[in-house]
Amino acid sequence: MSTIANDEAAVVIIGSGAGGGTMAFELTKAGIPCVVLEAGPFLKPEDYENDEWAAFGQMAWLDARTTSGSWRVAKDFSGLPTWLVKAVGGTTTHWAGATPRFLDYEFKARSTYGDIAGATLLDWPISLDDMAPYYTRAEDAIGSTHTNGRAPLPANNNYKVFANGAERVGYKRYATGPYGTNAEPYDGRPGSIQDGFNFQGDKNTSKWSTAVREIPRALDTGLCDLRAKSHAVKITHDASGKVDAVLYVDGDGNLHRQAARVVCVAGNSIETPRLLLMSDSNMFPNGLANSSDQVGRNYMRHLTGSMYAWFEKPVHMYRGETMAGIIKDEMQNDPSRGFVGGYYMETLALGPAFLAAFIEPGMWGPDFTKMMDAYCNMAGMWIVGEDMPQATNRITLSDSVKDQWGLPAPNVHFDDHPNDVAMRTYAYEKAEALYKSVGAIGTHRTPPYPSTHNLGTCRMSANAEDGVVNKWGQAHDVPNLFVSDGSVMTTGAAANPTLTIVALAIRQAEHLAGELKNGNL
Amino acid sequence: MNVSRRFILKGTASAAVIGASFSSTSVRAAASVGADAESKALLLRMIRVMYPHAKFDDAPYERSCDAIRGVAGKSIGQSLMFAEGLAELKAAGFAEMDDADALAHLKSIEGTGFFQLVRGNVITSLYNDPEVWEILGYEGPSFDKGGYINRGFNDLDWLPDPRITEL
Repeated sequence: MSTIANDEAAVVIIGSGAGGGTMAFELTKAGIPCVVLEAGPFLKPEDYENDEWAAFGQMAWLDARTTSGSWRVAKDFSGLPTWLVKAVGGTTTHWAGATPRFLDYEFKARSTYGDIAGATLLDWPISLDDMAPYYTRAEDAIGSTHTNGRAPLPANNNYKVFANGAERVGYKRYATGPYGTNAEPYDGRPGSIQDGFNFQGDKNTSKWSTAVREIPRALDTGLCDLRAKSHAVKITHDASGKVDAVLYVDGDGNLHRQAARVVCVAGNSIETPRLLLMSDSNMFPNGLANSSDQVGRNYMRHLTGSMYAWFEKPVHMYRGETMAGIIKDEMQNDPSRGFVGGYYMETLALGPAFLAAFIEPGMWGPDFTKMMDAYCNMAGMWIVGEDMPQATNRITLSDSVKDQWGLPAPNVHFDDHPNDVAMRTYAYEKAEALYKSVGAIGTHRTPPYPSTHNLGTCRMSANAEDGVVNKWGQAHDVPNLFVSDGSVMTTGAAANPTLTIVALAIRQAEHLAGELKNGNL
Repeated sequence: MNVSRRFILKGTASAAVIGASFSSTSVRAAASVGADAESKALLLRMIRVMYPHAKFDDAPYERSCDAIRGVAGKSIGQSLMFAEGLAELKAAGFAEMDDADALAHLKSIEGTGFFQLVRGNVITSLYNDPEVWEILGYEGPSFDKGGYINRGFNDLDWLPDPRITEL
């Protein structure tokens, strides 16, 4: 690993997950030295815990956060609005691995869905055609199954129930992927041994993460200065309004200043806007890159919900990969269903520890234990669909709660849009029908978990007054400031976002490398 | 692990959030609340009624009781709430109630900080217990055993084998 002096104006990347980790590898591969500031520790596969609560304690982002709004999470998990990872690799350590691409119409949400009351829909300034080559490169990086000649994952027990149900209710577009977990050895990492625990880091490394691919390869270039346990707390700028340094706190609580020629922020959709808001100044009184007042707004978390169903006979859903099944038949914009946008159904398995905590938060008594007693015969799926951006769904700085450094905690405000509620209700009914078609003797509608898909909050827009960054993820207000994570999503689409975050980062890194080489930054 | 469990608790039992720190002497004193035989039996009865599993013996429930007492002893405020909750159960004759009456009584106090302290700790301890996993049919981690690839990940035989790619 190289060492870059604190007073050497470097490309500084904040965060090492899907966006930051990809930026680090793509830029160093192109010969550009980078400092990577990661708030969490560098956990290695041998450190990962195959135990749900132990792993949660090891890697979850547990810094102080507050919640508001009518969403269920604010009631059940008021201090835990999201379920993200604080470690090198970020939330790719935790992700389950589904890699659908966005569909063409999903880049044109405003044009396709029209004017939806209460929603701040906007078309992306880029199209699927712009993204297609980068999607291919991202799939090759991740090793997505079912794409570009890679083998599909085999059917596990949870998938057998899911796929048979899909067939019986008339769905056609079901498969075991695409997923970012190797079915066969690929890219130096082994094929799956069906050991599950994808949410806990995957000790076998069959699952892609930037902690097992991009970060080690960036370090191998000799151009990456990775600083774990380094939490960025402020971005500063010079008299011209260009960013010039990042202040960060190390693991011992000491404050440092890293000079910067370019800053790429990739802290996920809570910490990225929080950092910009905390980086206010006389020149930028509403926060850095926030002349539009859009920083922190249009927070999206995907329409989610789960369906657990139990049967007369055993399923053992926990055996094998956590997610390894997808149904795409509900993926179209068909307003006759009572909502715009579409959703995927994806297999999902939890262990008893997490199932007890999340199947119906707060529930107790015989009806609860009856579900837990059925654990062995249970199958599960996750519903993930597009939710509507709303200006009032928003990350703000708390005026009362501070984090461990005495800095304002982020508050996450969220209210479901009526479109979200209509889609979730419809999807639950479809999921119940699917499981009943293969003999379910009981089903349960599990409400959304603390958010794992966190989107928007620094959205990409053609016009500076509508959003925070342009089509390259470059801040409209600050030419050498980039946002490199899911915060840039203009709208959320229905697809699990990691593939798109990686594809956007590869595209952004290519652009940024060109700009640097041409002396434009 | 304790960090994460307490974290979940914060969200589910806001009244029980620890707000102040106390000297180690007073915390040790507080830790003895609920440690007498009658209190232990009452708490055990309470959580068996809350989470009735005919197949579980007392051992995992007793481990949950220990976890609850551990958290309840972390602050004077929690200890007071815990002691008062137990005293109210005693006063209500909870130990003598049949299952239906006991369930109804717990329903009547489910909004209290005491109840939520107990509930939040049972949910993160009882179901995180290897003995409970075995009874529920969960075989747990498999990495050290070579995964489930040769240990039944696809052994479901009561449905046909489906295709794994799109048509």
